[in-house]
Amino acid sequence: MSSTEKFTEELTGIQSADIEAALDPAEADGIYRDSRECAALALFKGGFGLLLSPPTPRPKKG
Amino acid sequence: MKQSGTSPLLQGAVQDLASGVVSALRSGDHARAAAVPAAADGEAGGLALAAVRVLGADALLPSTLLHTPPLPDELAVFRKAVETYPPGAGAGPTVVWSHWAMRRTLRRLDPGHADGPDEEPDTAWLEGTTWQLLTHQLAVLAALAVPGEDCGVARAAGQRPVDVARGFVRAVRRRDWRQAAGAGRWLTLLEGVPPTLGLENGLDFVELMGGQDPLVELQVRAARLTRTGAFV
Repeated sequence: MSSTEKFTEELTGIQSADIEAALDPAEADGIYRDSRECAALALFKGGFGLLLSPPTPRPKKG
Repeated sequence: MKQSGTSPLLQGAVQDLASGVVSALRSGDHARAAAVPAAADGEAGGLALAAVRVLGADALLPSTLLHTPPLPDELAVFRKAVETYPPGAGAGPTVVWSHWAMRRTLRRLDPGHADGPDEEPDTAWLEGTTWQLLTHQLAVLAALAVPGEDCGVARAAGQRPVDVARGFVRAVRRRDWRQAAGAGRWLTLLEGVPPTLGLENGLDFVELMGGQDPLVELQVRAARLTRTGAFV
């Protein structure tokens, strides 16, 4: 086995774990909009009203 | 948005590949803008192959949606990726389904290629799951959202259009553009999506906010081609 082949195999070995991680990712953390983007939503063709509805209330504790 | 646990090198290669697919979808002629790189040896070849495996069936999306036969080199690299990276023991359902989708694509575009039985993986993990998790998983498996292609995941999505619509809205509110774009692509195929969703404008907004990411752009473009019937 040439050094290039060996290097490729090592690289491929690393990538197998990376590939599985990329294909089964955890959900990304949410980043919520700031007021400027809310305004952009309001102006955006006026046809995406559902996003502007108020968020659902948080469940009460206890 | 970066995905955790994935090497930056691989992420970059997947994004480059997705850019190629977007270009091919834009041009409408993959012969002028081949999405999948021709076979290469060594480190670059290994990385390109891994990128094809991660992008999955979408690596040949221009051929699927535009009904243009893939170039022989594209097909060879795609086939090699399928053969080189089968799901490992204990792989998650999205890994298994992604590989199944690639094999199905290969069978459709290269009928001479025989690689064993076409048994679907199971969809038990999607049954009774929350609408948030359902949307996340569907977005990861957006390559399965292809017009006229039936499979267990598509049937599971078809049974819960309202939940997927809720998930789409949630993803936009969380600024998870990849998830929003993937869910939006599914919604273009589903019946019973609430018209109040405003999917058309929603997809425009996702593209506006997240379209600089080729993986987002790919999903939005696929959704539009599906919606306009350009695949026919």
